[in-house]
Formats: sequence, C-alpha cells, structure tokens
Amino acid sequence: MLRHYLAAINAENIKEWKIELAYPPDFIRSFIEPIIYILPFIFYGIALVGGRNSSNLARLVGSGDIITYVVLGYIVIGFLNTACWGMGWSLRKEQWFGTIETIFAAPVPRWVYIGGMAFHSTLHQGAMIGIQVLVIHLFFKIFLNLSGIIPSLLLVGLMLIALYGLGMMVAAMALIFKEGWIVSEILHSIIAVVTPIAYPLAVLPAFLREIAKFMPTTYGVLGIRHFLIGEEVFFTIPEAVLRLLAFSIGWVGFGIFIFLLVDRKVRREGTLGHY
Amino acid sequence: MIIVYEELRKTMKIWLTYPLALVFWTIFPILWVIPFIFQGKAFVGALSSRAFADLTGTGQYIPFVIIGAVVSTYMFSALYGIGNAFRAESYWGTLEYLIGSPAQKGFILLGKVITEGIFSTFFAISQFLIALFLFGIELSLHKILPILLIMAFLLLALYGLGIGLAGLTLLIKESRGIIHSLDNILYLFSPIRYPVEVNPITKIVSLFIPLTYALIAIRGIVLLNKPFHLLITQVIVLFLLDIAFLFFGFYTFNTLEKKVRMKGTIGHY
Repeated sequence: MLRHYLAAINAENIKEWKIELAYPPDFIRSFIEPIIYILPFIFYGIALVGGRNSSNLARLVGSGDIITYVVLGYIVIGFLNTACWGMGWSLRKEQWFGTIETIFAAPVPRWVYIGGMAFHSTLHQGAMIGIQVLVIHLFFKIFLNLSGIIPSLLLVGLMLIALYGLGMMVAAMALIFKEGWIVSEILHSIIAVVTPIAYPLAVLPAFLREIAKFMPTTYGVLGIRHFLIGEEVFFTIPEAVLRLLAFSIGWVGFGIFIFLLVDRKVRREGTLGHY
Repeated sequence: MIIVYEELRKTMKIWLTYPLALVFWTIFPILWVIPFIFQGKAFVGALSSRAFADLTGTGQYIPFVIIGAVVSTYMFSALYGIGNAFRAESYWGTLEYLIGSPAQKGFILLGKVITEGIFSTFFAISQFLIALFLFGIELSLHKILPILLIMAFLLLALYGLGIGLAGLTLLIKESRGIIHSLDNILYLFSPIRYPVEVNPITKIVSLFIPLTYALIAIRGIVLLNKPFHLLITQVIVLFLLDIAFLFFGFYTFNTLEKKVRMKGTIGHY
C-alpha cells in the first residue's frame, strides 16, 4: 500500500517537473526571482543603519550583521511558499487545466496527490533557496557557523512537516473558495508578519509574541539563526524539537482532517468541478 | 461609451462577487508594511534613523514605507488587473466572444482600465485612512490636491505599462510569471520600500521608472512639507514618462493583438 502511495507521489512530482520544464523562461525565472525578492529587505536594512552592522540588533540577539540575519530569515520562510502556494494552489491549477476530476478519480486517496505536490514543491523550493544563498553570498558575503548546518537542517525538516499540514488546509480551502489564492495570500501574509523573519521576537507587541510561539516557522527561523549565527533564543533546542514535533503531529493531523472533510463536502454537494 | 459602461458594469459585478478579494486589497498592502516597521525597530532601536534621513531627508521610516505601500496599490492594479485582464477572460472562456464582437478592443480595454482605476483608488484611500488611524500619519487638506494630481500622472504611466502587458498576455498566454517578476523588479528599482539611493545601480535604474518620481514628490509633500513648485521637476518628468509609457502601451497592445489575430491563436490556452 505504502509503495503504491509513494509511486503516486513520485508520479505527481515528475508530472509537475515536466509541466514546469515545458515553460523554460518561467522555470529559469523561478530561480532568479527569489534573489530579486530579497534585495529590498537587505537594502532597507542598510539604509536604516548606514552599513551592515547594527548595534541595536547586536544588543537584542547577540549578532549585529543585518545582511546575514535578514537572508537567513527569508530563506527559511521561503519554505512557507511550499505550503501556501506549492500545495495550497495545486488543486486550483488542476481546475484551470481541467484535470481535477481525472486526478480525483485516480485509485489513491486524494491527500496523496497533495503529498506529491508537497514533495515536488520542497525539491523546487530547496533548489531555489540554494541558488539564492549562493548568489547573495557572492555579492554580500554571508558569515555562517558551518558546524550548525546539520542541526539547522533537522529543524527545517521538522518545520516543513508542520507546514505540510498547513498546505493541506489551504488546498482544502481552495476547493471551497475556488479563488484560493486569497486564502494562500492571507495565511502567508499573517504568518510572515508574526514570524520573526528579519527581526527578533523582542520587538513584537506582547500579543503577537504569544501568537508567534504557536508558529512552527518561529522555531525554524530562530533555531537556524541560533545554530548559524549564534542568535540568542527564548527556548532550548530540545524544547524547540519537541514543540516542532508537536506542531507537526497537530498541524498535519488537522490538515488531513480538514482536507478529507472538505473533499467529502464538495463531492456530496457536487461542486468539485465548479469554477 | 456603451462598451466602456458595459465593461465597467461587468467588471464591477465580478469584483463584488468576491467580497473577500475586496477586503484583502483594502487591508493587506498595509499589513505587508508591518515587517518593515518591526525590522526598523530591531535595527535602529528608535522610530527615526539618522542614516535614513541622510538618504531621504526624513528619518521617519514608518511613514516612508507606508506611503510606498499605498502608492504601490496602483502598481498591482496595472500589472495584475490590466496586464492580466484578457488572460482572465481566457480562463472564463469569454475571450473569443469579446474579441469576436464588433466592438473596438481599445474601448473594451478602456472599460477595464477605468474600473481598475476606480477600485484601486478606493483601495488606496482606504489604506491611507487605516494608516492615518493606526500610525498617526498627518495630512493637512491643502496637500491633498497636489497629491491627487501626482497620483493621476502616476496612474497614466502605470496603466500604459499595464496595457502593453495586456497585449503581451494575448501573445504568450501564461504571463503571470513575467508579471510577478516585474512586480519584484519594480519593488527593487523604485523607492517603494527603501530609498534607492542606498545602492548606485538601483539609483540609476530607478530614474527610468515613474514610481520613483511620484514617490519622491508625494513623500516630499507629506513628510518634508515641500511646496508643490519645488517638486515641479519630478512632475514634469512624470508627465513625460506618461507620454512614453502610454505610447508604448497602446502601440504594443495594438501590434500584438493584430499579430495574435493574424496567427489565429486568440483561443489558444
């Protein structure tokens, strides 16, 4: 059974690569765009402090290098795109292509399809982030503690699992709202504000700080900066791992539950094919 | 005029069918600014930065980025609203009827442009009111008229760009990627979110983008209390860019629309 599902997930991944490679300019663009995207955040920081070192940031987190700080925050949050867009947007795309009914008739549970999109999106996003880091490093020089890479990857992995749960939920919402980009955009925007991407938790208002503690992205971003640039964090690493595990179980469980619920609802109402 | 009115009525109906989209465009451009405010607080530790003032004339980075956010609403409208207008018709399966009708395509496009203008102005005003309430930005009444004039000039240039993109969309169909990249390029090379003077390359490229002149002029009025006559250079350059962008937009649209009809690929997906 599991092998059968994994084969379906891989087939979905291959199909998506094929579609993307059919549009070469768009494919190339997907690797250049993250670099362009991050530059305003870096330049804004430089304009604010008049260089790359901020004494205030150093006082707050223990490292004053704003460029490395901002870049690490934004590359980790790039994986949020996997959940909100790669997975969440996937069903709407199939609706556009006119293939959603065919895919839903395949002899595998429907969440397997979303799993395939998650797999593909993680690979694509990972490649995008790799190139992004390389180019930014060439232009700005990023200073990292390389021994922190392996524990960082562990935290990213756990964060990703939790985000897959979010992706399931967003995909389900797209079945109801149809124009699911709004759901993706709203969730992405809210999580991006609450997560300490380019700032420490200390600058957030108290109520946002509390909300941030329930976001897997908070532990992903802070944990990785802790390992790679020594950012001081409010949790211990075992605590972060435990919380990320709990988020992974909770978010994925909830995501699958919502997806199955919505799937049944739209099929009963006969609105799956509605546009 | 009937064509323009009917297009306006239709697009209005579609907008009102998705009330969540209306709420989204009213609130979220302001929400996207919030990370910049927190970033400023973390990096500077105060609400004003001397380094920022050296570049922009004002150290207050919060109103700086908020003005950028409100004005960028027109950028989104031009790129996504107008640039993608015919692609949306293609998704809905109505493009062939529209193109096949005896109406002049320019008037159909004009209807779409006017509707976009109405909605984006509504969004921009709402965002500004939210910013007034949340961030206490001050704006005296005598500043409103020159700001509206500058916004109108900006609108013409951006919509010229949007019209050109609408033509490109007819040709290449799936232009969403290009439009998204253009959105990021405009964020990088115009002072929407940061002063472009911080980097020599962005400073030079920004000279060719209408958003630069509009934002310098609007921020000059709102944040630096500059009288309108001191901003006349920016306004004249903006006007010249209007002519160039509108010419480019209509020329591109007409050429590409004709090409697509000759090739018979209007209905291709």
